Amino acid sequence: MNTPLIKIDRVVKVYRVGSENFTALHDISLEINDGAFMSFVGPSGSGKTTLLNLVGGLDQPTSGEIFFKNSSLAKMSREKLAFYRRENIGFIFQTFNLLQVYSVYENILFPLLLNGDKEPAVRDQVMNLVEKVGLLTQVKKRPSELSGGQCQRVAIARALVKNPSLVLADEPTANLDAENSFHILELMRDLNRQFHAAFIFSTHDEKVTRYVNREVGLDDGRITWDKRRNGAGEFE
Amino acid sequence: MILRIAWKNFIGQGMRAVLNTLVTALTLIAVVFNISMYNGFQGQVTRNMVRTDVAGGHYRMKDFDILSPTQWEDYTFTVPDKIRDAPPNERAEVLVLQGQIFPKRRLFPVQLRGIAMDQSLIDLPLDKLRELGPEIGEKVAVVIGQKMADKAHLNVGDTVVMKWRDKYGVVDARDAFVADVVPIINPRIDDGLIWLRLDHLRQLTSRPNEVSWVAVNGDRGPIESLEFLSQEELMQDILNLIEHDRRYSKIMWVILIFLAGIGVFNTQILNIFKRQKEIGTLMALGMTPRQLVRLFTLEGSLAALVSVTVALVLGTLIFSWFQSVGLDISHLRETSIPVNERILLEIRPLEVLWSTVVIVSIMILVSWIPVRKISRLDPTLALRGKGIT
Repeated sequence: MNTPLIKIDRVVKVYRVGSENFTALHDISLEINDGAFMSFVGPSGSGKTTLLNLVGGLDQPTSGEIFFKNSSLAKMSREKLAFYRRENIGFIFQTFNLLQVYSVYENILFPLLLNGDKEPAVRDQVMNLVEKVGLLTQVKKRPSELSGGQCQRVAIARALVKNPSLVLADEPTANLDAENSFHILELMRDLNRQFHAAFIFSTHDEKVTRYVNREVGLDDGRITWDKRRNGAGEFE
Repeated sequence: MILRIAWKNFIGQGMRAVLNTLVTALTLIAVVFNISMYNGFQGQVTRNMVRTDVAGGHYRMKDFDILSPTQWEDYTFTVPDKIRDAPPNERAEVLVLQGQIFPKRRLFPVQLRGIAMDQSLIDLPLDKLRELGPEIGEKVAVVIGQKMADKAHLNVGDTVVMKWRDKYGVVDARDAFVADVVPIINPRIDDGLIWLRLDHLRQLTSRPNEVSWVAVNGDRGPIESLEFLSQEELMQDILNLIEHDRRYSKIMWVILIFLAGIGVFNTQILNIFKRQKEIGTLMALGMTPRQLVRLFTLEGSLAALVSVTVALVLGTLIFSWFQSVGLDISHLRETSIPVNERILLEIRPLEVLWSTVVIVSIMILVSWIPVRKISRLDPTLALRGKGIT
């Protein structure tokens, strides 16, 4: 049997809120394979973003373990977790989180520079992605000069530019109108096919459901369903 | 790569970067200005004293004290051969004795100071005395400084009774006429002084070949029964005074750097607080805590380096302008400090370099101190802008 890309094993996450303990995730276990295109679905406070943060190595579980290609994230130092994110994970945020002082081109280039690549060597790679996300005419603009949909395209290109194994998208369509949401989801599905990177969304947007191949329902920190599309394209 | 990002971020800060840079640059300019002003002041004082009185030092009798006029007549000596043979531009013989003048029937105690006319070591405007011969005429020709003239109400051509005691204790008096009133840059040899030709004063006091001291261009080694006083020893009181003032300037220096440091520290704190989301994003993109600390410290360092460049340009303009006008200190003419009416800056490259290194180091340090927080920041809280509250 193939090694899963991500294995979430009996993960519990407890936050301290004032003098109270708040359990955000209860005993979550999941396996996610290479090339997945899936979503964590649920209302606000259901634990979607917490789960994404744990998978992305931005946070550590209170108990349980998360494995990336059989390597436990719990055993990694802060430095190693940074390297893990840099080499394997692409993040897409609800509020885009673009670096405001950089142009579109520089925002997409940034993760490659962080990986130690030299700008002239990766220029074509960056421009290819700029073209794929349809921002060739905006390449020199700064985020403040772009629409929400255009900003999210930049964020997607930035997440994919280093060919990550996994893209984590936290509510990627929450700040977009219906038309932009549609374009962004189409774009991500195409890129998932082209780049073979696994995509995990956290969302409560029903539009996303139409695109994903697997949907994990979360409520109050517990998995309430885990549906996959069958050969006919229906969830079961 | 980090440098490139830091530069972009620094430029991207816009007005904050400009203000920060300007404050640091102005601090550096103020610090260098302050130090250079003291240098200018000290330089001018010492140069004027050396030029008009101290030269390279004095040979005099042991225990001679210029502040004890009653001793003067007991501390004269005959110029030893070792000094007498020196060329006129390397020695100046001086005789000082007590005397009195009676301008407008007032008694005015004075120092009678005779100086050799063939010397060119000490620069004094005594041309009128030089024009006279060694013979004393009907009246004794004297030259006084402007300050003395103002105090004694004397003008060029005035005659005044002058009284003194000769070597044998005999009191004598003659009419003295003011051959010239000259501006003397050094108030210490103006106020209360009557300048005479050395040969005249020797004749009047029956002290042939005697001097109170010989100013020389440098130490000529030990001479029996005489001691050599260096420039520093002769100017000790005024150098101490300037050094005392310099201590206050150092306090000002510390305050200025402290204020600039607080400014940069505050900007850095604000930077980190406002840019938490950006820090969280950089963490998510894979920047290590160490890289983040380096990035933000580098931004602070760049601000310091840009400030130095701005200070260099701005400082050159300000200092060039200042050197053309100087600082008016004409009010100090009433004191005993030998300064011109204007002070100019004396910029010493080593001091500028030292001040720059200190300021840049402090700016880097205060940039780094608040940034250390980043290494402990929770990325999920930073992404929500709640990592630092």
